[in-house]
Amino acid sequence: MLSFWNRFSRNRSAVLGLGIIALILLMAVIAPLIFPGDPFGLAGKSMSPPGANGFLLGSDSLGRDVAAGIAHGAKTSLLIGLIATLVAVLVGVIMGALAGYYGGIIDDLLMRTTEMFQTIPSFVFAILLVAIMKPSIESVVIAIAVVSWPAVARLVRGEFLSLRNREFVQACHTVGMSDVRIMLGEILPNCLSPIIVIGSLMVATAILIESGLAFLGLGDPNVMSWGFQIGAGRTLLRSAWWVCTFPGIAILLTVLAINLVGEGLNDALNPRLRERAS
Amino acid sequence: MHFRPILSAVALGLGITLSAGAAMAQKAGGTLVYIVQPEPPSLASYLSTSGPIGLVAPKIYEGLLDYDNDLNILPSLAASYEVSEDGKTVTFKLQEGVKWHDGEPFTSADVQFTIMEVLKKVHPRGPNSFREVTSIDTPDALTAVFNLANPAPYMLRAMSGYESPIVPKHLLDGIDVRSADLVNNPVGTGPFKFNEWKKGQYIRLDKNEDYWKEGLPYLDRLVGRFIPDASTRTAAMENGEVMYGAYGAIPNIDAVRLRDTDGFSVTTDGYSMINPVSLIEFDTTEPPFDNPAMRKAISLALDRSFLIENIWFGYGKPATSALSSNFAPTGLYKDPMPNYVANADLDAAKKMLDDAGITAGADGVRAKAVLDLIPYGEDWRRAGEYMKQALAPIGIEVELRYEDVPTWLKRIYHNYDFAMNVNYFYQLSDPVLGVHRHYGTDQIRQGTHFVNSSRYSNPKLDDLLSSGAQEADATKRAEIYGGIQKILADDMPVVNLFEMQFLTVYNDKFQGHDNSALGAYGSFSEAYLTE
Amino acid sequence: MPAFGPVPFWLGDPMNHSTRRLRYVLKRLIQAIPIVIAIVVMNFFLLNLAEGDAVDVLAGEAGSATPEYMAELRAKFGLDQPLPVQLAVYMKNVLTLDLGYSFRHEMPVSELIFDRLFATLLLMVSTISLAVGFGILLGLIAATGLNTWRDTAISIFALITYATPLFWVGLMLIVVFSLGLGWFPTSGMENFAQFYEGWDRVFDIAHHLVLPTITLSLFYLALYTRLMRASMLEQYGQDYVVTARAKGVSERRIVFVHVLRNALLPVVTMAGVQVGALIGGSVIVESVFAWPGLGMLAFEALFARDLNLLLGIFLLSALLVVGVNLVVDIVYSSLDPRIEVS
Repeated sequence: MLSFWNRFSRNRSAVLGLGIIALILLMAVIAPLIFPGDPFGLAGKSMSPPGANGFLLGSDSLGRDVAAGIAHGAKTSLLIGLIATLVAVLVGVIMGALAGYYGGIIDDLLMRTTEMFQTIPSFVFAILLVAIMKPSIESVVIAIAVVSWPAVARLVRGEFLSLRNREFVQACHTVGMSDVRIMLGEILPNCLSPIIVIGSLMVATAILIESGLAFLGLGDPNVMSWGFQIGAGRTLLRSAWWVCTFPGIAILLTVLAINLVGEGLNDALNPRLRERAS
Repeated sequence: MHFRPILSAVALGLGITLSAGAAMAQKAGGTLVYIVQPEPPSLASYLSTSGPIGLVAPKIYEGLLDYDNDLNILPSLAASYEVSEDGKTVTFKLQEGVKWHDGEPFTSADVQFTIMEVLKKVHPRGPNSFREVTSIDTPDALTAVFNLANPAPYMLRAMSGYESPIVPKHLLDGIDVRSADLVNNPVGTGPFKFNEWKKGQYIRLDKNEDYWKEGLPYLDRLVGRFIPDASTRTAAMENGEVMYGAYGAIPNIDAVRLRDTDGFSVTTDGYSMINPVSLIEFDTTEPPFDNPAMRKAISLALDRSFLIENIWFGYGKPATSALSSNFAPTGLYKDPMPNYVANADLDAAKKMLDDAGITAGADGVRAKAVLDLIPYGEDWRRAGEYMKQALAPIGIEVELRYEDVPTWLKRIYHNYDFAMNVNYFYQLSDPVLGVHRHYGTDQIRQGTHFVNSSRYSNPKLDDLLSSGAQEADATKRAEIYGGIQKILADDMPVVNLFEMQFLTVYNDKFQGHDNSALGAYGSFSEAYLTE
Repeated sequence: MPAFGPVPFWLGDPMNHSTRRLRYVLKRLIQAIPIVIAIVVMNFFLLNLAEGDAVDVLAGEAGSATPEYMAELRAKFGLDQPLPVQLAVYMKNVLTLDLGYSFRHEMPVSELIFDRLFATLLLMVSTISLAVGFGILLGLIAATGLNTWRDTAISIFALITYATPLFWVGLMLIVVFSLGLGWFPTSGMENFAQFYEGWDRVFDIAHHLVLPTITLSLFYLALYTRLMRASMLEQYGQDYVVTARAKGVSERRIVFVHVLRNALLPVVTMAGVQVGALIGGSVIVESVFAWPGLGMLAFEALFARDLNLLLGIFLLSALLVVGVNLVVDIVYSSLDPRIEVS
């Protein structure tokens, strides 16, 4: 573990990314303290530019505080990203593990299902799911998870395929370990690193998808999120640039930071790169 | 039998007195690219009153009459009309030498067929507009006599090319009107002929060289472009790629900016026959909104000026009654009614609830309700977000719901599965056409859109509504509508929010489009490009 | 390892390369059939879960329509039938290569889709070309200067383009290049005030294509850059590079002759996978630039409950993905003879 951290911390941009994520998390946690009250509250003069009328990042057309929205929205956006990713990874790992471990007809069946989901244009599919389930935080999370899991499944299947014939797995078989134990206890830990990498990037993608859905008017109207702010501010872009630019920057920074960390993880976990980089 | 028109004797000359020659040569020619948004479902204005159809079809189809900005009646396909003394016979004399775009002559048979077989049967509002018409006689090719069961003064306000387009009998007779080829390939008598519809891109209309109005139209071509994103529409307008955008195609915030930019203008003219009013509908059959005090308290707690200023950027007028103040010239609009405020009066709202015995629990909440929002654009979401904030102080906790169009329509008008719903209605050119449908007991029609979804039912009001529809005398009619407005202000089954002002934004190079009460739903026959 | 079992005599020499490839193609196509059917069935039921149908939308837009009229319309469209019957009718039509009728547009679905196909393919191909081209270039530069400022700058640039919301990039490009500099039109595919013909029309369309292509390819650029970089690094570690180095082959030659060629493989694969995503992924770009592609058509079809049209688009996209992936695999196998088509 320590050597992993050493390798990771050698990558300065990854550490920077981690720092940014920590700050955003901190902001999400202390949002109710620095901006008490409802972020939807009409806090003052509408369309105040940044710095004016006591609004650090300006206010929107109804006089809502953009900064308060960003602070409160951080929690929503991060949660959407995290939960959607967790669900996608869970489903993807199960599907991929079963397919890769057992092969044969199970593999065929599961992989055809995966392919099926991959041939549907994913963003349109996400829109469709949200429209059917009615726009809400839950439906956005489900939609993102549904369009994200196939990538995980394919990755995990590949790993399982290559690992299942290794000596240590064969050894487990001979001592009579159950399939579930072999999969969870022996193979899975050996392919955690690519899963962690793909998962970290997925959080970023999920946040982007949420903002895209909100742009098209498919966000939850009762919950403050960055996507909501962008959707609500986009027609103001020419007159009050700050309303959707700051949440956009928040998304950009978050996605950037997550990706830097993801790349850092990748480099730290990939031995071949390690050799070359040193 | 003799005719003595009760409306001013109207023998209307051709509206075209413009001199031919030099002035006209300057105006003639050019392609107008304008915004049509969203893409219309079809071009069958005789089947659907869908907004975007109105932006295209009235250039192709004409009505019997037209209206100027002061709502004076002008000739169109009818050169003149006469109303009999008892109000039960209306005779139209048609223009001579009018041809359909396919070369067939236009005759009174087309008028008869259109009203009796098309508009009365399949038009969304036609059955109402022409409900008193029992038959139409065609003594000769250029005369159409409407026989009415009862006087119908409002009917003459529903004769425009948008509201009641005259369609070619020879292309529809004997076939299913709804699936005729005409739906996507319109053939009319109007100044422009349909040329091409490139799905997802544009509809192109070309000049009708044989138009019956001499020397018109000026423009060679109209191209209606579909641009889904509002900000892009504004950019296209600024860049001169489109010259005209109506019905809020350019968002108000950008319109305000363009208004102050050289080369662009903004007008609220051209919507007087539409009369849109935004409102909240309630489920009046179930708690909490079966109690009129709840509805009135909401009316008192909402700051109509705030909505207008911050979401519609100054365009709109606080509602003061069930009828739009635009009906004032006809005498039907009564003075401001109680319980309508421009600025929120929270104390009055709380008092209203206290007096009615609706009290708050320990958490300060008197009632909880879901507020549905009309899925026709971002502005309504902002309005909902504002209302959620504005109703919290009087103890009404609101949750917002924003669904897509089919889901919303089903919920409000079919399943009645709502508590409060933000919406807007067109009051049109007469209360009979646009307002009655909201309040009459006979308008509680499950499964029909944009009628009495509040399910408010009041026999006293019903009586007034039906006498209001038939009363020909203006003074008596005004009295009846005064009573109607009084009842509606006391019961408030629907809370009117504000009289909407749609905006038309145009490039100053484009002129001559603003001389009709119909605005963007007009024919553009006299519109031209300068330079 | 041979891909297939013994080849029947009528297919000739089992070692014949093109025969084997043909069989491979056929097998893949047959495998795709159940997927496509499953897509249709799943989406059919999913779409029917949504509240309201095409008639509700049409009636709602029309202003007002009686329940009787709506029932009549439903009967005409066949929407009054039980779902399994509707599905059976649809499947039967699809088998006869008939995608059905769009009740909203009063047009055959195939005609509607075909109308948009050109615009979609145009945007797709130009975007993929631009993104892959620049991605390869940037990835190459980054990999050859691993952990230098070039590498860092490129990955930061790629990440920023990826993380910036698409519509924001699109609008900013419009503001700067259309309104500010006047170089490009804001939207649409053609100049509708002119209706150019011949070569003028080609240039006009190309002119309109620039901004949407840049916007959309910026999003994909990061992916290809990162992939190319990683792929290059992967190849550097291979034995043959070490051998080449030991033999004294110049670094330049190693990069451009050996590493580059092999590093391209995963990039090509990814480009194939992306084609499907692009149809849907371009909804926002099509919306911002009023580009008449299939993404917007699908989007509008969904909200109009135009089921036949939406199913048709999904079907086409599935076929497209299957087809493109097949082509990619074949290209792949010719790029790298070590890979068997299996």
